[in-house]
Amino acid sequence: MFAQLIVSGIAVGSVYTLVALGMTILYRSTTVVNFCHGEFFMIGAFAVVVSQQMFGWSVTPSIVFALVLLFLVGAAVERGLMRPLQNSPHIALAMMTVALSYLLKGVSRFFYGREVVPLPPLIGGDPIIVGDVVVLPQDLLIVVFSLVVVVSFFVFFQRTRLGKVIQAASQTPRGASLVGINVPRLRNLMWGVGAAMGAAAGILIAPNTLIYPDMGGHMLIRAFAAMTLGGFGSLPGAVIGGVTLGILENIVGGYVSSSLVEITAYIVIIAVLVVRPQGIMGEWRQDRA
Amino acid sequence: MPDLQSSGIVAPTVAAAPIRAGARRVRRQRMVALIALGSALCLLPLVLNNYLQFVVNTMLVYCLVAVGFNVVIGYLGQLAFANAAFFGIGAYATGLSMVHFGLPFPAAMVVGTAAGGLAGGLVGLPALRVKGYYLAIITLAVGELLRWVYVHVDKVTFGSGGFNVPDIRFFGPALGDKGKYYLFLAAVGIAIAATSLLLRSRFGRAFVAVRNNENAAASLGIAVRRTKVIAFAWSGLVVGLAGALYAALNGRVSPDTFGLSQMLMHFAIVMIGGLGSLVGSIVGAVLLTAAPELLRNFPGLEEIVFSLLLIGVLFFMPMGIGGLLAAQIPFFRERLYREPDDA
Repeated sequence: MFAQLIVSGIAVGSVYTLVALGMTILYRSTTVVNFCHGEFFMIGAFAVVVSQQMFGWSVTPSIVFALVLLFLVGAAVERGLMRPLQNSPHIALAMMTVALSYLLKGVSRFFYGREVVPLPPLIGGDPIIVGDVVVLPQDLLIVVFSLVVVVSFFVFFQRTRLGKVIQAASQTPRGASLVGINVPRLRNLMWGVGAAMGAAAGILIAPNTLIYPDMGGHMLIRAFAAMTLGGFGSLPGAVIGGVTLGILENIVGGYVSSSLVEITAYIVIIAVLVVRPQGIMGEWRQDRA
Repeated sequence: MPDLQSSGIVAPTVAAAPIRAGARRVRRQRMVALIALGSALCLLPLVLNNYLQFVVNTMLVYCLVAVGFNVVIGYLGQLAFANAAFFGIGAYATGLSMVHFGLPFPAAMVVGTAAGGLAGGLVGLPALRVKGYYLAIITLAVGELLRWVYVHVDKVTFGSGGFNVPDIRFFGPALGDKGKYYLFLAAVGIAIAATSLLLRSRFGRAFVAVRNNENAAASLGIAVRRTKVIAFAWSGLVVGLAGALYAALNGRVSPDTFGLSQMLMHFAIVMIGGLGSLVGSIVGAVLLTAAPELLRNFPGLEEIVFSLLLIGVLFFMPMGIGGLLAAQIPFFRERLYREPDDA
C-alpha cells in the first residue's frame, strides 16, 4: 500500500508542480505573486469542455485551443491590467490579481453555477499493474508531461540565450533594460507562458477531479504550499515541493484520515513559514515587503 | 519600490499639529457634524420598514468589519487575508457560547470579541517573521484551515449546515430588528470611537510609521514587532465584535459565510472606501452592503460586480473615496494626533 500511495502521490504532485512552476516563473520575472493563477488553471479546463460541447471539437484541437487561449489571456492581463500599475506598491499589484481571480471565478460561476462538469480521461487503456501497484494511464500521462515540461524548462533557462536573457531581466530589470533587453515584452511572454502552464495542469487533472468554478482556489493554496515547501521563487524548489506535497497528502490520507488531505497543504504552509521560511531550497528574499 | 504613503494609494493623513488657523474651525464643524449624524442615526428607525431596517443593521456590522480590517491593511500596511476568519471566529464564539453554555447575549458578545482579538494577536505572530506575500499566503491558509474546522469538528460547530443562534436579549425581552439596531449602533459607535482614539495615539502613529518604512520606524525607537501584534490584535478585536453582531443579526451561523467570497467583500469595501481612512471604511461599507441584496439572484454576479469595482478603483482612484475626500476637503482629513480639548 505504501508504494501505491507514493505512486499516486507523484501523479498528484506533478500537477502541483506544474501550477507551482508557472507561478514561480511569473514571480521571478515580475516579482508579482499571482493570486489568479488558480483561475487560469480552472479556465483552462473549462475552455476544453466548452470547445468540445459548443464547437464539437475532438480532444486534441480543444486542448490546443485552451492552451493558446490561456496564453493570450495571460499576455492580455499583463498588458492591460498589470503593466499600468507597474510602479504601484505591491499591495495594489496583489490586489489586482486578487480582483482578477474573483472576476474569472464569477464569470465561470455565472455560466455554470453549481454545476460540476466531468471530463473524460485524455487517454484510455487498461491500468498498468506492477507488483501490487496500479498505475492509471492518465496518471502516467500527467507524470510524463510534467517531466517533459520541467526538463525543457531547465534546459531552456540554463542553456538557451533567451532563457538567460529572461533570467537577467528578472534579476535586475533596470540593468537588463540598460543593455537593450526589452523587459516589458519578456514579462508579457512570461505571463502568457505561466497562464498556459496553469491551463495545462488544469486540463491534466480535470478528468480526476471534475471541473467546477472553485477548483482554482483549492489548487492555488496547494501551489502556494508547494512553493513555500520547496523554497519560494526557486524553480527546483517548486518541483521538489510539488512532488513532496503530493506524496505527503496521499500518505496522510492513507494512514491517518482522508478528511485531513484537504488541510495538509494549509498546515504545510503554516509550519514551513513559521519554522523555516526559506523552505527546502533556501532561497529567501524579502525585497518586496 | 515606492512606499505606500508616497505612492498615493493610502489616504493622506495629518501627522503633526498644523499651524493654520483653520484647524479650530474644522474641529467645530466636525463636532456639529458628529452630533447631527448621531441624532439622525438615532431617529432613523422611525422611517424604515422591516426590510430596510435589516439592511441598515447589516451596514452597521460591515462598518465595523471595514474599520477593523483597515487597521491592518490600511494603517499597518500588511496584506493579510485573515479578516474573514476573525469575522467567523467572532460569530462562532458568540453563537456557540450561547448554544453550549447558555450565556446571555451580552456575555457571549464579549466572548466573541475577545476570541477575535486573541485570534488577531495569534495571526499577528507570524507577521513578525514573514511579511509581504508570505504573510498573505499564511493568512490565507489560516482562514481556510478555520473553515475546515467549522465543517469537520461538527460535534462542537454543528458541521457544514451551521446552527441557529438563540433569541437575542439585552437585559430584557428578545430584540427585534429595531432593538438590534440601537444595540448595534451603540456597539459600533463605541468601537469606532475607540479605534479613532487608538489611531490618534502613539500606537496609531507607530502603525503608520511601520507601514511607511519599517527600518526608519525602528530607528526612531518604535518597537516594530510589538506594534504589529497590537495592530493585529486590535483589528481582530473589532472584527470579532462585528462577527458577534453578525451572529445576532442573522440568527444563524454557518461555515460557508466566512469563505473567500466574504474576503472579497472586505477587500472591496476597504479599497473602495480608501486604505487608511476611517470615513472611507464607513462609506465603503454603506455603499457595498446595499449591493449584494440586488445581486444575490444570479450566481457569480456578486463576484463579477465587486471584482470589476475593485479593478476600477485600483486604476482610477487608488486612494478610494476616503482618500479623495481627504485630498480635496480639509474637513475629511484625518489626524494622527490628539489635542488636549479633544473628546
